[in-house]
Amino acid sequence: MKSSRGGRDSIPAEAGVGLRFRHHEEVLESHPAAAWFEVHTENYLGGGNVPASLDAIRRDYPLSLHGTGLSLGSADGLDPAHLARVGKVVERFEPGLVSEHLSFSVAGGNYLADLLPLPMTEETLEIVCGNVDRVQDHLKRAILVENPSTYLQFRHSTIPEWEFLVGVAERTGCGILCDVNNIYVSACNHGWRASTYLAALPAEAVGEIHLAGHTVRRIDDTRTLRIDDHGSRVAPEVWALYAEALARFGPVPTLIEWDTNVPPMEVLLEEAAHAAALIEEAKNGNCRALAA
Amino acid sequence: METAAPSLLELQRAMRASVVIHDDGAISAHVVDGSIGASERLDIYRNTFASALTTALRLSYPAVQRLVGAEFFEGAVRIFIEISPPKSACLDDYGEGFAEFLSDFEPAASLAYLPDVARLEWAVNRALHASDMEPLDPRRLVALAEADRARLSFAPHPSVSLVRTDHPADLIWRAVLDEDDSALSAIDPGAGPAWLLVHRLPAGVEIFRVSESAWRFTSALCAGRPLAAALDEAPDFDASALLADHLAAGRLIDFSLNEAIT
Repeated sequence: MKSSRGGRDSIPAEAGVGLRFRHHEEVLESHPAAAWFEVHTENYLGGGNVPASLDAIRRDYPLSLHGTGLSLGSADGLDPAHLARVGKVVERFEPGLVSEHLSFSVAGGNYLADLLPLPMTEETLEIVCGNVDRVQDHLKRAILVENPSTYLQFRHSTIPEWEFLVGVAERTGCGILCDVNNIYVSACNHGWRASTYLAALPAEAVGEIHLAGHTVRRIDDTRTLRIDDHGSRVAPEVWALYAEALARFGPVPTLIEWDTNVPPMEVLLEEAAHAAALIEEAKNGNCRALAA
Repeated sequence: METAAPSLLELQRAMRASVVIHDDGAISAHVVDGSIGASERLDIYRNTFASALTTALRLSYPAVQRLVGAEFFEGAVRIFIEISPPKSACLDDYGEGFAEFLSDFEPAASLAYLPDVARLEWAVNRALHASDMEPLDPRRLVALAEADRARLSFAPHPSVSLVRTDHPADLIWRAVLDEDDSALSAIDPGAGPAWLLVHRLPAGVEIFRVSESAWRFTSALCAGRPLAAALDEAPDFDASALLADHLAAGRLIDFSLNEAIT
């Protein structure tokens, strides 16, 4: 029963941390002061000791499930077996939030192990909305859909990504997971204005913010691509954009993600503390003043 | 050059070819290249695909990797990934055919026991990630009439695998993962076959050797064959003790009664 967990069910408008396997034991033993945790849904599809330890963690912390495998943008439609597995994980852990990506990762019956970019067209919008509807019907709850980092765009795209994302939210009733690092990475890679992106998102639809580190890949002396590798601290430019986001959206649950060379928990908590300080400012209305 | 806009389905098939078999022919004309070319951009997705799957296989096949070395492993994996890309987003299930691939992989031919080790590692991987299931309560069987017992067939716990290897793959596996070189060099790879039972217990995955008869009986049982037929697999063998052991260890989760056997 949800009520037995009281305030542990919903995700607070505070800074949480992405939880990876290497920290399970530490979390259970020393109970670090993280406001909430988020895990990758696809890491908990099976049985055994790993999901059992997450059961124990869930008893003490609010939990969010973040998926990477539903492939909301697949023209082939959703994989019903995968949707059923995700449904079981949601049932088991009763997460405060469930999220996925505005991308595709399954095509022609193969899983392509990445969040691949979609052409931003009316046809794609129809397909994504149909798939989001199916997920929400199956899970019997609204999900959040996240903007991905992208490294290419398609010639026949006709809709700016921010308008597309808002369109998905409006048509399906889903929320938006605003990944500020992804906005920054994609904006740099494609020459967009990050502020334009943020300004397009309706505050009431934004249910969560993601922050992470990225790298700059040098193609040659003059050309670079930013890669969203979640392998370092949040970049200063991304912190600045985050303050702008808070000024616009108000205090929102914010997650520190780190997936490559995952550091000690204390580093993640330091990053979360930085985010928490900015959320505090937002609560006092100071970010709005700063950003103005 | 003007190219007609593809449907989303066509575009995603083209992207699949680019990522899996590195064929950009159908996709590159649709990509905005600007100062960075389409293939350089597509490389980023190709690299993520290859590195994510390599990591998945490295986690499932740690002993195979140590036996052949990281570089050889990665080379073999790159070929395997292209031939057998994953069919679902559940990567715990990815890599089932790797042992069979290795047995046909010419550069690994000198390590005759390698496919056996891979088959064992796949069974361990399955055991690790299998769904949690309540074991069959043996008291449910007590109520059965004696005459019905031969008609019993069972459903095994999803973590149970039966592996028969031509080589002592279990000894090799353990020595490699323990990094115990002296144990490894003491193993005679030609020491003959092993009949193995792999199962997840609360404390972790366990691999143990059983007799050929016990293996045949248990294999038949786990394949859902009626008890009478399973017993035929191992005539000179005390099956009731083993069945009790399987029940006590939670290796069976359900039973049904077959039509009367004639």
